[in-house]
Amino acid sequence: MVWLRTAAAYIAVVAIALTINFALPRLAPGDPLSFLLPEDVLAEMTEAEERRVLAEFGLDRPIPVQFADYAAGVFTGDLGVSLRYGAPVMDVVMDRLPWTLLLMGWALALSSLLGTALGVMAARRRGEVRDVGTTVLVLALGSAPVFWVAMLLITLFSARLGWLPSFGAVPLMARPGSWEYVAGIAERLVLPVTALTIAQTAGVWLTARSAMAVALARDYVTVARAKGVPERAVFWRHALRNAMLPIYTNVTIGLGSLLGGALVVETVFSWPGIGQLVVAGVEARDYNLLQGVFLVATLSVVAANLLADLTYPLIDPRVRR
Amino acid sequence: MTDLALPAPTERQAPRGLRPVQRAGLALLLGLVALVAVGPLLLPHAAGETVCPGFAKPSLAHPLGCNDVGQDLLAGILTGGRISLAVGLITAAVATAIATVLAIAAAWHGGLWDVIAMRVVDAVMALPFLPLVIVLSAFFGASFTVQIAVLCLVLWTQPVRELRAQAQALRAADYTDAARAMGASSWHVCTRHILPELAPLVVPQFVRIAHAAILTESALSFLGLGDPIAKSWGTILFHANARTAFLTDAWLWWVLPPGLLIAASVVALALVGHGVGDRHADGTTAATPRTGPARARATGDRLEVAGLSVAYGGVPALADVSLGVAAGSTVGLIGESGSGKSTLAMAALRLMPPAAEIRAGGVWLRETDIAGLPEGALRAFRGRRIALVPQAAMAALNPVHTIGAQIAEAARVHGLADPHGRARALMAEVDLPAARLSAYPHELSGGQRQRVAIAMALAAEPEVLIADEPTTGLDVLVQKAILDLLARLSAARGLTVLFVTHDLPMIARRAGRLAVLQNGQLVETGTPKALAQGARHAHTRALFASVLALDAPKRWVREDAGAPVLEAQDLVVTYRAGLAGRLRGAVPVEALAGVTLEVRAGEVVGLVGGSGSGKTTLARAALGLVAPSEGSVVVSGAAPRPGGAAAMVFQDPYQSIRPAMSVGAAVTEPLVVARRPDAEIAEAVGAALVRMRLPSDAGFRARRVGSLSGGQRQRLAIARALVARPRLLLADEPTSMLDQSLRMDLLATLEDVRAADGPGILFITHDLALARHFCDRIAVLEAGRIVEAGPADQIAVAPAHPYTRALLAAASS
Repeated sequence: MVWLRTAAAYIAVVAIALTINFALPRLAPGDPLSFLLPEDVLAEMTEAEERRVLAEFGLDRPIPVQFADYAAGVFTGDLGVSLRYGAPVMDVVMDRLPWTLLLMGWALALSSLLGTALGVMAARRRGEVRDVGTTVLVLALGSAPVFWVAMLLITLFSARLGWLPSFGAVPLMARPGSWEYVAGIAERLVLPVTALTIAQTAGVWLTARSAMAVALARDYVTVARAKGVPERAVFWRHALRNAMLPIYTNVTIGLGSLLGGALVVETVFSWPGIGQLVVAGVEARDYNLLQGVFLVATLSVVAANLLADLTYPLIDPRVRR
Repeated sequence: MTDLALPAPTERQAPRGLRPVQRAGLALLLGLVALVAVGPLLLPHAAGETVCPGFAKPSLAHPLGCNDVGQDLLAGILTGGRISLAVGLITAAVATAIATVLAIAAAWHGGLWDVIAMRVVDAVMALPFLPLVIVLSAFFGASFTVQIAVLCLVLWTQPVRELRAQAQALRAADYTDAARAMGASSWHVCTRHILPELAPLVVPQFVRIAHAAILTESALSFLGLGDPIAKSWGTILFHANARTAFLTDAWLWWVLPPGLLIAASVVALALVGHGVGDRHADGTTAATPRTGPARARATGDRLEVAGLSVAYGGVPALADVSLGVAAGSTVGLIGESGSGKSTLAMAALRLMPPAAEIRAGGVWLRETDIAGLPEGALRAFRGRRIALVPQAAMAALNPVHTIGAQIAEAARVHGLADPHGRARALMAEVDLPAARLSAYPHELSGGQRQRVAIAMALAAEPEVLIADEPTTGLDVLVQKAILDLLARLSAARGLTVLFVTHDLPMIARRAGRLAVLQNGQLVETGTPKALAQGARHAHTRALFASVLALDAPKRWVREDAGAPVLEAQDLVVTYRAGLAGRLRGAVPVEALAGVTLEVRAGEVVGLVGGSGSGKTTLARAALGLVAPSEGSVVVSGAAPRPGGAAAMVFQDPYQSIRPAMSVGAAVTEPLVVARRPDAEIAEAVGAALVRMRLPSDAGFRARRVGSLSGGQRQRLAIARALVARPRLLLADEPTSMLDQSLRMDLLATLEDVRAADGPGILFITHDLALARHFCDRIAVLEAGRIVEAGPADQIAVAPAHPYTRALLAAASS
């Protein structure tokens, strides 16, 4: 039963994403064709030609048929053609996705570790003056727009100090697969990952701090102390072990916002991920491409949530079957 | 009932007014709003005017220089703030309003609508936020209103989820039930009770949405999806990025200021919202410090508390308490709420909240003063020499570890051999199967958990046990089993026990000596017999006088009763799950399985039964809150309906009246719901308060219910129930949450009202002694059936049914 409900929930998410994608060109103000063809082409077309194009795209058929057709297309990997790149959207997006995932993976790992470690430490000192200062600092870091932080990082570390590159993901001069190539990628990862980590850590820190404070105030912690359990074990085995549950959940909920952050950071660093596609898509009014990015992003987040759902019982015995 | 250290439970809520951090945030936010509202008016140039050469550096005329097309950047940034802040605040207002209405509607209707609404919310929340906003904005075009609409479309979900959870809790609150029992409409309950309670929780949601909206708007604009004419801070950064301003000196005046202003606005909102609802209990510190002089031991007792004074945050909670527990004996420590009895128990282990300090005195275990031990030695003492049996109601077991691991841990941390073997042996001693060692706490019942807690306390073979209300919250029969177990094990091991409780009749039968605490002072000690017969202190005498003994002459004897006011005939109530519940596999539950019962006017009928026996369902059926599945129920000659001839007094006065209401509004609510004329309502208030012996002056009527004591609140609850002159009063354990010394007064007042007005009373209780004295007849309910009924004296003294006999045994051992 639980399995069925979980599956239904995920199917619902994907269905809603599909419906949004399907409905947008049909509901948005203006001619649906204007979302499919470049403006100059559209301007020169006769009415007969327009009807022919509509028929070609299947837009003259009943809506349910169109939807079934669209959904079938999506499931066979057909997301239409990108006007901007002149290639199937699926190919364009899949080309870029690994670069975005690389960026996100590092930022996720670093922000989770850093945020948890620092937040848990802070929970011990809740209420002290220094704690208020740290909290305000963390809130401030988390409030800065991530792309702005990225720009300032470039100003400082690339433009002023010249320590790190700020453009692209791969060194142009190195042979793919060579040592220099990998080192070059690593070098180019530093600033975007830093920007994303700064933005993401604040949320994890706040969650970790509050989860740990809640756990430390629980009765089982008092009882553990009454048993004579050493403070270190009280902290790790009793409090932190419980605090990990909300931290884990919140980190997975934060995946969507991490992805959003990655998209904007990529545009600052000209990182060849799907964020760049977004900017290109907005500039060229390439709606197919934007919809493809949205759908792939949804599927990625759903997959990550599914993974988190499946692994959560490993850390919380209460939801084990 | 004076509280020395801790405020009454419901008063322990967030302090009114803003905290300094929040105040700073609000000031920053207002400052920013003022800046962008007034700033552009003071500048000579408008944001869109070309007034200087492109890329001009800062000068006196243009303090932040100019952008690529020669527009003054300062003007642009100040004007842009209007867009950024307006988008954020308008979005927050609209989305919060939508979310509040939806949350209340979903929580109120429940069932399938609720399920569907929450599934949609979940699904929308799982969509990647920014890509969704980007796609929507791209299709609908870039403009101010589109941005707000798109942001609202995405941001309403999370507040719905959180507010609905709160609204559900409010819907399930006793005061909501009370209002429904009065016949209040959904509209009345939602607007008069749920919305006012929800309102403070809406504020943080507003703040959070504004926070997210400002950041998202800036990201959207930065990606080129902003309004190209009305440039926001994000749009300005988009242009700066497009012209790679961050690679030149222009970063200082073109990139830095708009970003700083976005961050300042967002951080201001974060500060305003920070820590709202973030009030946890403090927990305990590893070792509560002793800040004053020690005290030598004076007796040869195994455990001796010597001149102990404890303060919470400077307020005294225990004053110079001296108490000895002889080796192998049990001392019962009794006192009413706030008397300091739990403080004393926990001070013996030096396990108290951070604000607590031991001001003076010692806690001697043989030759060691626990109050003076360094932390390391204290740790070696705890569990090994002196152990704690915590409250059953406490979440005393760690939910993520098996009970086997937790019992074994208590032995292992003290270096005892074979901890797992010990755990196995202890399981047998507390009558739990060894197979349960690998179970997690959530898989056990309350009674089983309490057995585990006892096993844990015994794992390192201590010589002293501190039992802190170890059976509170358990069913009567389970309580007896736990108490018997504890007595058996401590006798077998020759343990020295300090037993903290508020249950005087129980401990008087089980402890060798009693110690009475009042207001942090030990007023008297002695054997139960000596105290019962000739206590010196007035408080002790009052406590013993308020105990209703099973074998004493019946205290309330009444004349013949009048016409029937409650007639239940073969009443069956079956709870069927809604469609959503059935999908989850819920099965119908037969809460009442054919109950026949009569209550006459002026008569008090006791309804006795354990938890889950159907007592509450019978009351709900009489109120018309649940419909009979079979059989019939008639109240005062008519079918029951909310607001009809029956009224209810709930068990917990802290829950049954909304604390934010005024006394006057609370007591007249049934009349307001019934739309009686204002003059009648005004007249009724005073009479209702006077009858329950409460003050009836204007000052008292205007007081918040939350500021009243527990005893006053229960009187108020009864006054409210009686204000519409019901023919049938349903009283659900009205005295069980009150301190012992207040119970008799309340019963006496209730009896006066009964004698004057003559309503029939259905008195729900699990206390056989109380039922025998206060009720004329008793009906015993078990698993939805009445297993025994008859005159109170007969049922309570010579019960026939095994369940009633077990209850009697529990009440007299």
